Amino acid sequence: MRIERHPILTFTKGAKVQFYFEGEPLEGYEGEPIAAALHAAGIRCLRHSPVRNRPRGFFCAIGNCSSCLMVVDGVPNVRVCVEKLRAGMDVRRQKGKGDLNVSD
Amino acid sequence: MTRADVIIVGGGIMGCSIAYHLARRGMRRVVVLERSHIASGATGRCGAGVRMQWGTKPNCLVMKESIRILEGLEQELSYPHGIGFKQKGYLFLAHSKAQLIQFQKNVQLQNSLGIPSEIVSPKDMKRIAPLLDTTGVVGGSYCSKDGHCDPFHTTRAYALAATRLGATLLQYTELQSVTKSAEGTFKLTTSAGEIEAPVLVNAAGAWSGYVASMLGVNLPVYSERHQILVTEQVERVLDPMIISLHEGLYCQQTPDGSFIMGLGDPNEPKGLDQGHSWQFLFAVSKKISRLLPDITGVRILRQWSGLYNMSPDRQAVLGAVDDVPGLYVACGFSGHGFMMAPAVSESMADIILGNTPRVAIDVYGLDRFKNGNLFYEPAVV
Repeated sequence: MRIERHPILTFTKGAKVQFYFEGEPLEGYEGEPIAAALHAAGIRCLRHSPVRNRPRGFFCAIGNCSSCLMVVDGVPNVRVCVEKLRAGMDVRRQKGKGDLNVSD
Repeated sequence: MTRADVIIVGGGIMGCSIAYHLARRGMRRVVVLERSHIASGATGRCGAGVRMQWGTKPNCLVMKESIRILEGLEQELSYPHGIGFKQKGYLFLAHSKAQLIQFQKNVQLQNSLGIPSEIVSPKDMKRIAPLLDTTGVVGGSYCSKDGHCDPFHTTRAYALAATRLGATLLQYTELQSVTKSAEGTFKLTTSAGEIEAPVLVNAAGAWSGYVASMLGVNLPVYSERHQILVTEQVERVLDPMIISLHEGLYCQQTPDGSFIMGLGDPNEPKGLDQGHSWQFLFAVSKKISRLLPDITGVRILRQWSGLYNMSPDRQAVLGAVDDVPGLYVACGFSGHGFMMAPAVSESMADIILGNTPRVAIDVYGLDRFKNGNLFYEPAVV
């Protein structure tokens, strides 16, 4: 589901690109928020809450809440509602508070 | 005019814990005056560390006892929410031979007092804190029994226990003036009316000098802003508090997963400014990225500052004010008041009641500034 026509705003779509959600290929438009591409693909659960492990979905959409924190290209706590989509991104549901990448 | 047996000025950890111990020792009308809410001053703004690794014997003994008390404090105060006490250690970094020699002296002193600290090599340090970049670090000292405690919960735990025992906590009540009557009673004018008591305890932290001046007492303390920040939460990757006296930097990951870090600024002017700056953000980010490179990408959530109440030897100022009978002071903690409160508050209550305290605190007395018996604490950030 995408807004195609809006009374005030115009949406210019970027090129159609492939990215990965939980390892499965999906399509979205380059430069749109990752969350928009996931939403359009019908993905409703973006993460699980750290304390009670409850499913969390698209909520504030402006980068304020912690509902859409996902692991993107290995980086935890990425707010996918304000992070732009690029080709080949590896997007995964986050469980817990996010594991920091620690070098050996 | 309301009458009390004792009035404590300041609802930080010190005021609330002294109130608890006085009430527990049977004092009936204990009143705590707090201009804002409890822990709104330095207590609630501090780095939340607790450690036994100190460079002077009195501080070692006070902190050894404080940590023993913290181990059982939730039970003692019947506080069901937890005070966030975790013993994951404190790691001090030495960046020079001279610093390591100072740490060796400190550890020798600590060990002689039964504190289980040790000197560690850079290799040991990598084992204790794998995230640490030990470049330029020649060694350090470590104590596994040091750690973290939640300032808000701990203060609230003391405040609730005190009120259960009959103490009165007056929040959002500002002290406006104090006089001492001919009979020796302190008469306080507050934003909520007048109140009097024969005993007055100044636990006003950064504002203790101001409160003392209302009675014509000149305390040798001043306040100094220290800045601090907190990051988003991530899964636990760092156990100990990391302290570099050389950089003036400390950083720990709290039990909830956020990193708290602060940086001392040697050019910080004296005063009561509690603002914060982008310069601090820049400086601390740069230093922490060198020390803990793996946390570079962790997002900063917010920054703030709190006020250290500094004394000339960076040691607390505790006990009776000789010139004004009935007046007591617990201030000048120089950035380590939160962690000292569990032991110090008990001793303060005993001194106020004329008992012999379990942990002697007479070396922290005001008379040291007359006698010249200062004892400089080297291990302060």
